[in-house]
Amino acid sequence: MATWTWFHRLASPPHVYAFARRWTPWFGGFAAVAIVVALYGGLVMAPPDYQQKDAFRMVYVHAPTAWLSLMIYTTMAVAAAVGLIWRMKVAHAAAAACAPVGAWMTVAALGTGMLYGKPMWGTYWVWDPRLTAELVLLFLYFGYMGLRAGIEDPVKADKASAVLAVVGVINVPIIKFSVEWWNSLHQTATVMQMGKPKMDFDMLWPLLLMLLGFLLYFITVLLIRLRAELLRRERNASWVREVLA
Amino acid sequence: MNEFLDMGGYGKYLWPTFALGIGVVILNLLLALSSLKAAKLEARRRMEMSQ
Repeated sequence: MATWTWFHRLASPPHVYAFARRWTPWFGGFAAVAIVVALYGGLVMAPPDYQQKDAFRMVYVHAPTAWLSLMIYTTMAVAAAVGLIWRMKVAHAAAAACAPVGAWMTVAALGTGMLYGKPMWGTYWVWDPRLTAELVLLFLYFGYMGLRAGIEDPVKADKASAVLAVVGVINVPIIKFSVEWWNSLHQTATVMQMGKPKMDFDMLWPLLLMLLGFLLYFITVLLIRLRAELLRRERNASWVREVLA
Repeated sequence: MNEFLDMGGYGKYLWPTFALGIGVVILNLLLALSSLKAAKLEARRRMEMSQ
């Protein structure tokens, strides 16, 4: 019974709006602390890698942005699917709120990857399976946002963009496993693998903390954008008047 | 200090990487906040018009 109350609250824009407003400073605060401590840990405390030397520190930015680019897309696709199946407005709003930050994280993942690739591989870019699939991810985000912007009727825009988001999710496992399925210049998973991570603890903790910080940061931005989306969609609702009064 | 900035010769790749990552993080927070601000303004304007 309690589960269904929770589910109904999740579908109610005023509840979600109030929840987002209450929790944004908390998620944002913890995100900032985690990211700052992880930066110090990664740049100062972690020892240089025996192979990549100090260049390995680029992983502290590259891995979290790349990981978020996939995580945000997956979140967007799940929200879009929930919106399609249960016709839930809040879910469509959440999916729409994911897209811009996901696209930016993909840009950051590609950009930091290029800067990481130059000293390690000798080139900024190769048409390698992992890199190419990540670029496709960026185009999926663009397609999703373009589709939304191009359809005037919000209900139709929600449906069409949700279908694209759900179909495009096939690209997520392709990116994740590309380094195992094909011969890739990109290294295989170091942390996210079965068993023990292939990384010393002194190097690992700043990375894990940075991943946590980025996750909390994403939740913060999502909650802010979700409020904006809900206000735009529900502008004639009485709860909006009460909230803004 | 110079040694830290040099990062064993990788500084010219490492610092732009960090600048890009942190820059995108800050930019997205600002974009989200300005989007919320704009949505609030728009909703308020509608409220005033309908009164």
